[in-house]
Amino acid sequence: MVDRTVVVGAVAYTANVVPIWDGIREYFRGKEPDTDFVLFSNYERQVDALIAGTIDVAWNTNLAWVRTVNRTGGQCRALAMRDIDVTFRSVFVKRAGDSIASIDDLRGRRLALGSRDSTQAAILPLYYLRRAGVEGIDVVRYDRDAGKHGDTGRSEIDSLRAMLDGEADATAIGITTWESIGRDDLMKGTVEAFWETPEYCHCNFTVTNLDPDVADAWAARLLAMDWEVPEQRRIMEMEGLQRRWVQPDLAGYKTLFEAVEEQEIPLRW
Amino acid sequence: MVILDLVERIAPLAEGMVVRVDAGGPAGVELARAWCDRTGNTVVEATGQWIEIRRGRVASALSSLPPERRPGVRLWMYTNFDCNLACSYCCVRSSPQAPRRALGSERIAQLAAEGAAWGVEELYLTGGEPFIVADIGDSIRACVAHRPTTVLTNAMLFTGRRLRTLDGLPREGLALQISLDSATPAVHDHNRGAGSWERAMAGIRTALDLGFRVRVAATIDQNQPGALAAADQLDAFLDEFGIAPEDKLTRPVALRGFADSGLVLAPETMVPEVTVTASGVYWHPVGADDADMLIDTEVFPLAPRIDRIVSLFAEHAQRQASAAMVFPCA
Repeated sequence: MVDRTVVVGAVAYTANVVPIWDGIREYFRGKEPDTDFVLFSNYERQVDALIAGTIDVAWNTNLAWVRTVNRTGGQCRALAMRDIDVTFRSVFVKRAGDSIASIDDLRGRRLALGSRDSTQAAILPLYYLRRAGVEGIDVVRYDRDAGKHGDTGRSEIDSLRAMLDGEADATAIGITTWESIGRDDLMKGTVEAFWETPEYCHCNFTVTNLDPDVADAWAARLLAMDWEVPEQRRIMEMEGLQRRWVQPDLAGYKTLFEAVEEQEIPLRW
Repeated sequence: MVILDLVERIAPLAEGMVVRVDAGGPAGVELARAWCDRTGNTVVEATGQWIEIRRGRVASALSSLPPERRPGVRLWMYTNFDCNLACSYCCVRSSPQAPRRALGSERIAQLAAEGAAWGVEELYLTGGEPFIVADIGDSIRACVAHRPTTVLTNAMLFTGRRLRTLDGLPREGLALQISLDSATPAVHDHNRGAGSWERAMAGIRTALDLGFRVRVAATIDQNQPGALAAADQLDAFLDEFGIAPEDKLTRPVALRGFADSGLVLAPETMVPEVTVTASGVYWHPVGADDADMLIDTEVFPLAPRIDRIVSLFAEHAQRQASAAMVFPCA
């Protein structure tokens, strides 16, 4: 029996976070363990609160996960993630008709990148470009909503606008943003994709101090959410799941750990 | 670029909130429609210039209701409109002087069959006083043959031929819903006529003695001092007769028919319960004598008329939700 309330932290990057977490709290109501939530304005505060034990579980971005691992010396655990988090990737796009055919063609061209704390719109695109040996790119930064780790999508939209306005030749955006603008289907004749990064992992539920039995019970209850139940599906859709919560895949964070080290991204800004 | 505008405007919103976006012209509006369709957002309204979008899908008005209260689950049939009583709050103006306007047992049988085929799960026969109608027994049996049936009655006519009719009815799948407004005669008789309480009580005893499931429904004027205490008193009184908790009902007076005060009701604010009278198909039994609740003067075939009511209910729900979000007062 799990006789306690698990407090989950989440970052309020949109007003929709409130109905999402009201819904998740309702889903856990009357079951074990009971769940409540606390909202933070940025991931740095949330990681602080997790490590301090103010919250039991943090709904972390991949960068917040890396920082938690690095700050705790690995004394933390990922409990679950969305199905979409396992196959996350960044998409390089250009104006339709531009001559760029591959990332090699970015040499000497202007690349718009999003917030410095956005893994999908800045950190990992740079990592993969360097891995591919592509240098001599004129990077134009659109640093927005620092602390939200790119969740708002603001910097990606601004990068896209800049590219369409001719201030950049290409940009890199997260797959979710690419999907949200309708990919090639709705952007046909305006924006074209020319490269995708390999898959990497994004968000996960992170614990540091939570009793393992309680953590297991909480994760089991979360993983049992059912896409076929309309009220549960509504919550899952708002949170961006494709169909289910899944077990974490820690191998998918390897590239980000390397990127954080290479780019000397501090534990906090 | 309208899609970037849409993403930018929708992203900060909570689900259910509505925003209007200038799409720059018909092509932009069509692109915005396609975007909504793809991303699970809902078009509320559009012109050739702008589009109004609600974040997320509109929660189905139907799915928000418990299954037993969804439109189409219940089918009400007004057997007739004449009545041996003239209750002060009667929502359909029934009285001894009211024209009969009977549906007739043949049409009732057809309605029960078509309703069951559509998916109706419960049938209700009401009036007027149904037991005034000579062949009410045929109508009731026809209904029970298709679905569990409830007959609303004042239970004051269970003597002679009508008692024999009652006794000849099936017990399985049939409930009698008898009107009783209070535990003592005063309130009931004030509403329904002198001596009516005693006769209703006699009818309840008769129905119970004959082995019928009896439901008791009280109409409560909540503006009357002591109304709620009286309702509690009635609840306890009915326990003495062994009336099950789920068979004790209270309902407020509606500002309809003979009532000069009561709850103001409109189709737009009510969950419909499909109702058929000799005059047509109505939104709800409480408005079965009012033009604003009339859906169709034709009754058959019934299925498309039920479909229309279900569809109208969804439209009402969506319109109300949109209005609430678009016109915040502060």
